[in-house]
Amino acid sequence: MNRKLLVGLSLILSISLLALTPVSAKDIKVLSQFPMSGPVGALPEFGWGYIDGMNWVNGEGGGVNGKKITWFLEDFRYDPTVEVANFNKYCAELSRDEFLLATGYITGGLKPLADKVNKEEKIPWLDGSYSTEMFGPEGGPSKYPYYYSLGATYGDQLKILLKWIKENHKAKGKARVGMIYSPTAWGKDGLPEALAYAKKIGIDVVAQIEYPYSATDATNECMQLRKAKAQYVIYHGYSGASGCTAIFFKTAKKVLKDVQLMGTHYTTNRMSILVCQEAYNGYIGVATRPFLDAVPRSKSPMDNPMTKLAHEFAQKYRPEEYKRGVKDKDSIKDMFLYLEGLTYALIIQKVLTDADNSGDLSREGVKKALDNLVWDYKGMFGGKKFSYKSHTIPMMQIFKAEVKMVKMGETMVPTGSVNPITDWINSDETKW
Amino acid sequence: MSDLFQALGSGLLVGLVYSLLGLCIVIVYKASEAFNFAVGEFMVTGSFLFYIIFFDLHFPFLLAFPLGLAAAAAAGALIETVTIRPLIGRSPIAMTIITLGLAFFIRACLQLIFGSHSYSFFLELPDISIDAGELLFLSDPLWAGILALLTFCLVMFFLFRTRWGLAVRATSENQAKAMAFGINAKMILLIVWAASSACIAVAGIMISNFGALSTMSSIVGLRAIPVVLIGGMDSIGGALAGGIIVGICESLVGAYIEPMGLTGSKEVAPYILLLAVVLIRPYGLFGTVRIERV
Repeated sequence: MNRKLLVGLSLILSISLLALTPVSAKDIKVLSQFPMSGPVGALPEFGWGYIDGMNWVNGEGGGVNGKKITWFLEDFRYDPTVEVANFNKYCAELSRDEFLLATGYITGGLKPLADKVNKEEKIPWLDGSYSTEMFGPEGGPSKYPYYYSLGATYGDQLKILLKWIKENHKAKGKARVGMIYSPTAWGKDGLPEALAYAKKIGIDVVAQIEYPYSATDATNECMQLRKAKAQYVIYHGYSGASGCTAIFFKTAKKVLKDVQLMGTHYTTNRMSILVCQEAYNGYIGVATRPFLDAVPRSKSPMDNPMTKLAHEFAQKYRPEEYKRGVKDKDSIKDMFLYLEGLTYALIIQKVLTDADNSGDLSREGVKKALDNLVWDYKGMFGGKKFSYKSHTIPMMQIFKAEVKMVKMGETMVPTGSVNPITDWINSDETKW
Repeated sequence: MSDLFQALGSGLLVGLVYSLLGLCIVIVYKASEAFNFAVGEFMVTGSFLFYIIFFDLHFPFLLAFPLGLAAAAAAGALIETVTIRPLIGRSPIAMTIITLGLAFFIRACLQLIFGSHSYSFFLELPDISIDAGELLFLSDPLWAGILALLTFCLVMFFLFRTRWGLAVRATSENQAKAMAFGINAKMILLIVWAASSACIAVAGIMISNFGALSTMSSIVGLRAIPVVLIGGMDSIGGALAGGIIVGICESLVGAYIEPMGLTGSKEVAPYILLLAVVLIRPYGLFGTVRIERV
């Protein structure tokens, strides 16, 4: 009797325990890599935005329908080999069922990983690269089905600037445009598309000048542009406000007095205001994010919900870094960098949740979620939604810099901002 | 024709700054037979020291400039004392290799302290731009050329018109003999490194004033290599000539060759020229030809 009771009780206990034990839910694992340090620049802001964003996603953000994301963050130091090695390491260590999404930031890493990501691992990969070669007509979803870019290609950025010139050119005759580009893969990226488009819409590209990062002088380049009678100069392929950008803008402002200086995404930023100062005044540039980070920061307009969110996040989670002056290397020098890290966290949560909602939380499920994504990115594009059918977020806006020097104590300091002069433009819907 | 003058003028002005970089390598080489590969990093260090005094502490330029140079000289002396002095009497190759290590070490320290972003750099020097129709020489490069030339002359005066300069020259001729005559070779080496650091700082400040200052600016130091190899490793006049040749070469190639579609040739041209010069004159245009018995 006792024995039967014992067996019965054990059975009930075992069944109860089995019922109480949750079905072993698989983890959701994500790898992100940003260039946060290294020879090109120390940009920890990428990581800060991402860390704060992912912590929020797993906490107040509710995770993926309540499930937490196990995320890994690596600093690949602008080195594609490090980016590739990191990815290989995680692929070897993590199970395919759990490792659902990876992100990167430069074209240099996309190229060597193309086969590994798209044919072998078949894992969705979000990237900061704007490479026309990878995401333009010659690349894109048919060639790289698992690659997704978080911005419009350089080709589209250059074309939209040319389109703006065409629509706003007031002087007689065809608009005369000079191109300055860096001797890098991204400096040359998009140029053939831009030249073909300029020809199509009747713009004369009167000069194409390669201008190196290590330049100590831009007089020759500017004199060539002056001689070619360029009315617009598009400066393309220089990340951040590097020394050569300051040299070019300082020289161009003196040599090319009536010429409209323009540029692509990475020249349209806050650091350029601080480094080029008055020489940056009047600059017109295209960007794939809302660059609303004024100098001083307190004067930043907050009408864009995503900008507002990024500033709120930074103030809440990084109050010291947010307040510190730009000279402090541990400060948030440009809110774009912080916002960029944050946008990665938000899109990761969005697509994983969409995949989970469709009942397929796998790599293929995440890919389907990305392919079907129609989203306003928390209001980042003025309420406009985009779809990922081209595997790029095809949104762009054109901005104009307004910079004024004001006296602060003994010294003159720059104040100003980069303000939108167009609505958000969807390149997939633009009639080129 | 105006294009040619423009290219020649622009090249000359930048070339004078390169000459100063070359001079700093030459005087160190003459004193110790070591090649200072950390010239770019010394340049950025000096520029940041000036930056702190002028832009952060708001000293007036006329005071900040000599103070910045003095700080750069002190930094150079400190580096010499810690890293170069222990190698006196050993092979110059050891010193040269130490400077390679120094380049990495200084760059890492600078990134740690100042980060890798650019710092705005505007010296409000009087505007002396020359704008004559198709010819335009901007104020900043003109000032750079003038200050580089003045510094060059100052170093020449120090070397050829002062007792310390005489001691430096004696030491560079033969360290052992100089010491036998009671010259303190250690002190001479210290002075040479300090003077060299101060002069590199002048070049760094001028180059930063063209654009901005960042730790990445150290890449400009590489220009000093073709300068001294073309001019001659042990020739002060050669450094001047080498700098001007490299500056003009870059400028002419930028003005005439690159527009023909050979983009990027401006960057490579000084090295091609270097190759040609070294093939014809292995010791450079003005370097001392050494005949060694084998």
